[in-house]
Amino acid sequence: MSEKNWIEVGSTDSIEEEDLIRFDHQDKTFCVYKLTDGFYATDGICTHEAVHLEDGLVMDDEIECPMHQGIFNIKSGEALSPPACEDLKTYPVKVDNDKIFIKID
Amino acid sequence: MKKNIIILGGGQAGIYAAREIRKNDTESNIKILGEENLLPYERPPLSKDFLLDKKNEQDLYFHSSEVLKNENIDFENILITKVDFEHKKLFSKNEDVYTYDTLLISTGSDNKRLSLDNNLNDDVYYLRNLEEAKTIKEKVLNKNKITIIGGGFIGLEIASSLSQLQKKVTVIEISNQLMGRIIPKQIADLVQSTHIDHGNKIILNKQIDKITKKNDNFEILLNDNSLIETDFVIAGIGSTPSVKLFENTNLKLDNGIVTNQFCETSIKNVYAAGDVSNFYHPLYERNMRLESYQHAQNHGICAGKNIAGVKTEYTSIPWMWSDQFNLNLQLTGICDEYDEIIERGNDINKGVIYFFLKNNKIRGACGVGIIGKVGRDIRITSKLTEKDTIVDKQILSDQNLKLNKLIQK
Repeated sequence: MSEKNWIEVGSTDSIEEEDLIRFDHQDKTFCVYKLTDGFYATDGICTHEAVHLEDGLVMDDEIECPMHQGIFNIKSGEALSPPACEDLKTYPVKVDNDKIFIKID
Repeated sequence: MKKNIIILGGGQAGIYAAREIRKNDTESNIKILGEENLLPYERPPLSKDFLLDKKNEQDLYFHSSEVLKNENIDFENILITKVDFEHKKLFSKNEDVYTYDTLLISTGSDNKRLSLDNNLNDDVYYLRNLEEAKTIKEKVLNKNKITIIGGGFIGLEIASSLSQLQKKVTVIEISNQLMGRIIPKQIADLVQSTHIDHGNKIILNKQIDKITKKNDNFEILLNDNSLIETDFVIAGIGSTPSVKLFENTNLKLDNGIVTNQFCETSIKNVYAAGDVSNFYHPLYERNMRLESYQHAQNHGICAGKNIAGVKTEYTSIPWMWSDQFNLNLQLTGICDEYDEIIERGNDINKGVIYFFLKNNKIRGACGVGIIGKVGRDIRITSKLTEKDTIVDKQILSDQNLKLNKLIQK
């Protein structure tokens, strides 16, 4: 695992629990979540239609798209409820000195 | 026990029911009979991304034929012309006979049509299915001035798309507001302003007296004697449940097929789901008929469970959306039974929501905003409605306070 692919997202206190922040890097958008047991990251755009998930609802371990209510499991990226049927890509996250990093391939 | 299950109607409710039955019943034969020679497909993009060429036909199908094959769900393109509930048989025009043990009716709804002189019937276009969308897409290419009769969702979505294709669009609506059947006036007025800002002309409170064909164009005479010249006419004036097949049977009809909260009709082993069903909603304690994507999907799934023997009440809170220009409008619950209205936000860029409360509980809410701005709050509202929560009105009315604080876990 190359260190250079770990990108700093922000500090751990920049996200409230059961919430997310949007993180843009180069031409891609990601969502970084704080759940009860830690931080997680997924692609930031819904797989159903090109809409940002940053305005979606985080509840338990799920993110729900604000446009058409497609639901994904944040930890696995699995599409749980139609109209979403394609899984959401997930990314490894680590915390170092109160900073959140995500690993982008 | 292995049964012959027939699903009459190859739309969204039908396909979701079929897959749900299969999830719970691996033995029975499941056959979908569809009028269109197409696998079940998504209709919402027809008036939007399909017209704008952002989605093509292949993007619209819910599932590939492989998915249906893998799940052993049979799909047949056939027009059923007669039903014999007593002997559990369906007949096609060619007298092909289909025998069922259990029947799900998911025939959807049909366009209401304008009463016009016969020679004009082929000159007014409607949009409900893929074929109609293809026709409109092709025909408007070399047209400039387009008139849309009816300011409901479908008419306004087409108006938005055609405006984006640089057409000069006029919308004529008979009532005093757009989308008046279900959308509160406050929200409708915000949407109307956006249409006008994009150059669409909106005419309210006017009826069509006469449409006259002049060479390749048309003159539309309104009831105030004003005249609109146009190159192309599209009508979106609502729909009616597709129940013609059942009119002379003993199936109970009243604004669609009457069903209980388990999708059961008045005839044993006959179920109905989706647009065609006027169903009992236990949370609202009344019957309702809904025409929406979410309802077709969830009602189909609920019918599927019940058909497969998993007794399940339909308690889904109504939810629908419309996308016009850069706006996303969402509605949850019902907004016509209230004793108090609370407004959240006043800037369409941040999202504006009106909550409709009765006895301090939310019955429904409607919001509009730049895409993405109202979805989360509307979704939380659905949950609050479902849980019958007494809400803190201060939080509802202050956009700086998060609504998820209201959800009791």
